[in-house]
Amino acid sequence: MVERPDIRALVPRASAARLSRRAFLSGLVVIGGTSVLAACAKSTGFAPSALPDGRVEGKLNVYSWGDYDDPSNIRSFQKSGTSVQFDSFGSNEELIAKLGATRGTSGYDIIVPTGSYIPMMAKNGLLEPLDHRYLKNMGNIDPLYLDQSWDPGNKYTVCKDWGTTGFVYDTRAIKRDLLTWGDFLDAATTEASKNVALLEDPWEVACTFFAANGIDPNTTKKADLEAANEYLVNTLAPHVKAFNSVAVTSGIPEETFTLMQAFNGDVRQGLLATDKPDAWKFVYPTPTANLWMDNWAIARGAQNMDAAYQFIDYILKPEVSFREVDYIGYSTGIKDLAAMAKKHDFSYPELVFPDAEVIQRLTPAEVNSSAGELVAILNRMMAKAGS
Amino acid sequence: MSNTSPTRPEADGSVSLVGITKTFGNATAVDHIDLEVRSGEFISLLGPSGCGKTTLLRMIAGFEQPDEGDILVGGASVVDLPPHRRPVNTVFQSYALFPHMTVAENVAYGLRQRRVPKDEIARRVQDSLALAQMVDFADRKPTTLSGGQQQRVALARALVNRPKVLLLDEPMSALDRKLREEMQIELKLLQRELGITFIFVTHDQAEALSMSDRVVVMEKGAVQQLGTTEEVYRDPANAFVAGFIGKQNFIDATVSSPDALTTADGSIPLHRLPQGVTSGSSVRAAVRAEVVQVSAQRPNGPALQGTLAGISFLGDSIQYVVLTASGLELIARVSPDRAEHLSTGDTVWCSWDASELRVFEAAA
Amino acid sequence: MARRKVNGYAAIGFPTWAYVVFFFIVPLALVLWYSFGYKPDLFTAHANDILSFDRYAEALDATFVGTFWNTLRIGVIGTLLCLIIALPFAYWLAVKMNPKWRPLALALVLVPFWTNFLVRTLGWQIVLSPRGFLSDALQNLGIIHGRLDILYTQSAVQLGVVYNYLPLMILPLYVAIDRAGRPLREASADLGANRWKTLFTVTLPLAVPGIASGCLLVFIPLMGDYITASVLGGAQGNMIGQLVASQFNTAQNWALGSAMAVLLMVFTAAAVIVFGAAGLIIRSLVRRSRRVQLQGGAA
Ligand SMILES: Nc1ncnc2c1ncn2[C@@H]1O[C@H](COP(=O)(O)OP(=O)(O)OP(=O)(O)O)[C@@H](O)[C@H]1O
Ligand SMILES: [Mg+2]
Repeated sequence: MVERPDIRALVPRASAARLSRRAFLSGLVVIGGTSVLAACAKSTGFAPSALPDGRVEGKLNVYSWGDYDDPSNIRSFQKSGTSVQFDSFGSNEELIAKLGATRGTSGYDIIVPTGSYIPMMAKNGLLEPLDHRYLKNMGNIDPLYLDQSWDPGNKYTVCKDWGTTGFVYDTRAIKRDLLTWGDFLDAATTEASKNVALLEDPWEVACTFFAANGIDPNTTKKADLEAANEYLVNTLAPHVKAFNSVAVTSGIPEETFTLMQAFNGDVRQGLLATDKPDAWKFVYPTPTANLWMDNWAIARGAQNMDAAYQFIDYILKPEVSFREVDYIGYSTGIKDLAAMAKKHDFSYPELVFPDAEVIQRLTPAEVNSSAGELVAILNRMMAKAGS
Repeated sequence: MSNTSPTRPEADGSVSLVGITKTFGNATAVDHIDLEVRSGEFISLLGPSGCGKTTLLRMIAGFEQPDEGDILVGGASVVDLPPHRRPVNTVFQSYALFPHMTVAENVAYGLRQRRVPKDEIARRVQDSLALAQMVDFADRKPTTLSGGQQQRVALARALVNRPKVLLLDEPMSALDRKLREEMQIELKLLQRELGITFIFVTHDQAEALSMSDRVVVMEKGAVQQLGTTEEVYRDPANAFVAGFIGKQNFIDATVSSPDALTTADGSIPLHRLPQGVTSGSSVRAAVRAEVVQVSAQRPNGPALQGTLAGISFLGDSIQYVVLTASGLELIARVSPDRAEHLSTGDTVWCSWDASELRVFEAAA
Repeated sequence: MARRKVNGYAAIGFPTWAYVVFFFIVPLALVLWYSFGYKPDLFTAHANDILSFDRYAEALDATFVGTFWNTLRIGVIGTLLCLIIALPFAYWLAVKMNPKWRPLALALVLVPFWTNFLVRTLGWQIVLSPRGFLSDALQNLGIIHGRLDILYTQSAVQLGVVYNYLPLMILPLYVAIDRAGRPLREASADLGANRWKTLFTVTLPLAVPGIASGCLLVFIPLMGDYITASVLGGAQGNMIGQLVASQFNTAQNWALGSAMAVLLMVFTAAAVIVFGAAGLIIRSLVRRSRRVQLQGGAA
């Protein structure tokens, strides 16, 4: 599939920038959702959701990232008699702000939050618990993507798609094999010095150091954070050319960098766009990396329950799901997608469907008490690199 | 006026326009004009709106290039010179004073461009402001001045450069009547004293007549008449000039004999027939309102009878409007002390001295 | 009677003060208020039950100061470049161009504003890339040897901000030069000044208010810009807006972000005051040089 150039979300929030298909539509959002949550948590006045009654409603309102679903899938779903209305947001904060402010009267039935935000959304009552009886196709999901730490038992969400972080390098500039985050940092400070792009994402940047040193990437230990600060700011930063979450899709064809930290699906886009794909090598580095997931959920106050369940269940069908993969360039977590990809001559399948062994070692990012310090570290790195 | 006037030009301030033509798109603003302006002369360009007066002036100043013809100042062609190199200065209709400079800085502007030494600038600005009676306002900004004061500054700013020729484009149109009359006198005196050539644009005939040595009457980009004020007033070259100078009554008539015209309201005597006009031809006769007498009694000589349709008091004269039986409207302006006691609706007789009647060929 | 007058005045004045209050004072007061608070826990962006200046101490570290100087340099150079480019263009637009075409030219100046700020900045990423057409063209012309290496540098940011903010400079300059007007330029020529003299002694001095507002319109938003730097900047060209944005978005620390925003505002205002004072000094020097001291005058 040939990708057209994408205008990607530039919200300096990892979750927004990491998805190539999440076309930028909603602008840069500085409205945080959390304080709205703090305010609404005190009052309990949430409009109740309608109960499913077996009669499928004639319309459905979906609030998702821009250009994040295959239009042909939507069209064929609508043939069942339910018209689907899409609205888009540009960041999880925007989604949360909207839901928090309207308290169940937003009118949205289906929403698409990122995994690490789900605990706080659930805690603040923004999500409707899922009744698995209405989701017959949940069995199509590979168990690897069920029962995640941020939503045990899939109480509120099911996987929409997921991705991970690795790095890609120009084999003409870096002639040795790089396999680990340790190798990445070593090359970044030697052969690739001044030609390195890091993601503009505090967690991801810190993860390179933690993973390379065998530390849990979600660590909150002071000593770990201090060590990361020391290395990243004083050693790594001067070698970095850019902190840019969307660099890779243009960076590969334009050869702007020789070493780039990147999300797997974005690397595939870059390779599809270049005329010299053989010059580049992508690595799922050991020992671990982020596993992020965007998820289907039903908003508290949804009025079209039956249609919402029917839509999610429809999207979980294998053939429908494969079209989604082809359109957005990331895996949806449905079983046997890799085999279907092979059948359909899907290019660079290994960049969308890593081996199970890779998936097993990934660590979902958490939003925890170290978040502020990670932001400070990234800011110090940027200041140091620019000085 | 200051008697320290430093601005008498030593060089020749004559201006010659030779076959000047200017078109904008397909509209001809100035059409083959030839004009000789003598050094030290006060000449007015008079004509209705849009007749090309400003355009002519702008060509002399250099803001417009003529399509054809040559312009000579003091005997030398200036058409190829940019405005800043021409030995003329302009007083603009809107004055165009620099709002960010004080009055003194405005006046000094031209001298500064010519790198006149600082102390000489100070002296000449002082003199020039004295001439314009604006010394007390030297440090004010132009926006804080009245119209008349601004005009004086504009004049001082032009005169300080001792131009050979000064161009003035309706400089008094923004002033009220009283101030305008005062300024007319001052300006005329100043011009006499300095001996600079003034080319003065106006569409106010009274202004032109009261100030000028000679008047150029223009219409549709062409010169209709060039002459002294007296000539233009007494002896207009054609019906247009006659109509433009003074308040004229036009009477369509036929020449019945070498010394009489037949009109719809009867016969009127004729002093002399212009050359080329023969008996039997249709003509247009003109008589100025100031020479028409209105009387309730039939005068001795020939007269036209009519009904008095209107009376208005104009201050220095009384204006009567008389309607004849054929529908001709005659206007008479009589000085109040010579006016009879008449009221509207009266039957009256209009008469005039035959020598005051001008006869022009009827327009085709 | 008097009372009615007051009411009438208030009704007429309503939109003005409403604008000021709702679009300026309220947001500013909120930011100021947040800046004295703190971030109490992970899921809360700010709290104001304990007030302190601690966030300012936290914000004002070496990272902030270093990045501020970097931003100030980009801002000053960017504003000057905009001015240097916009001046001749605005002059040409107001003075030389056939008035018939002026509305079209002004519309074209604004064309970039029809697209999203981010999108047009991303456009430059394509233009400036080392394998892009500009790079190829410059290499073919022999102007550069080797690929164009400007993307993700400070020069790219500089170029990006000039592009993004240039219309904000052109428009007030155009209005100011246009207002100075042809009659005054003609009067200047009539008094013996050539084009350059007229430009420097009449047109530009009269355009000073326009120049000042153009500089403010460019400099102030430029100081707070973070999109241009994020897209084109790379590590060399980062700007202080990115620090503020990262606190509000990524760190969800509104207290610290607000303190940074307030500091940015204060520093930017200080810079404006310094430049403004320099401008006033220059103006008074210019005025002194053209002053005419009448001798023994009655003035
Ligand atoms: N720049 C121009 N472009 C097009 N036409 C012009 C221009 N300047 C003057 N004209 C035309 O040339 C003719 C003469 O104009 P000009 O300004 O010389 O008249 P004027 O005698 O000064 O009139 P007024 O007494 O109203 O000032 C007019 O028809 C005018 O419309
Ligand atoms: Mg005119």
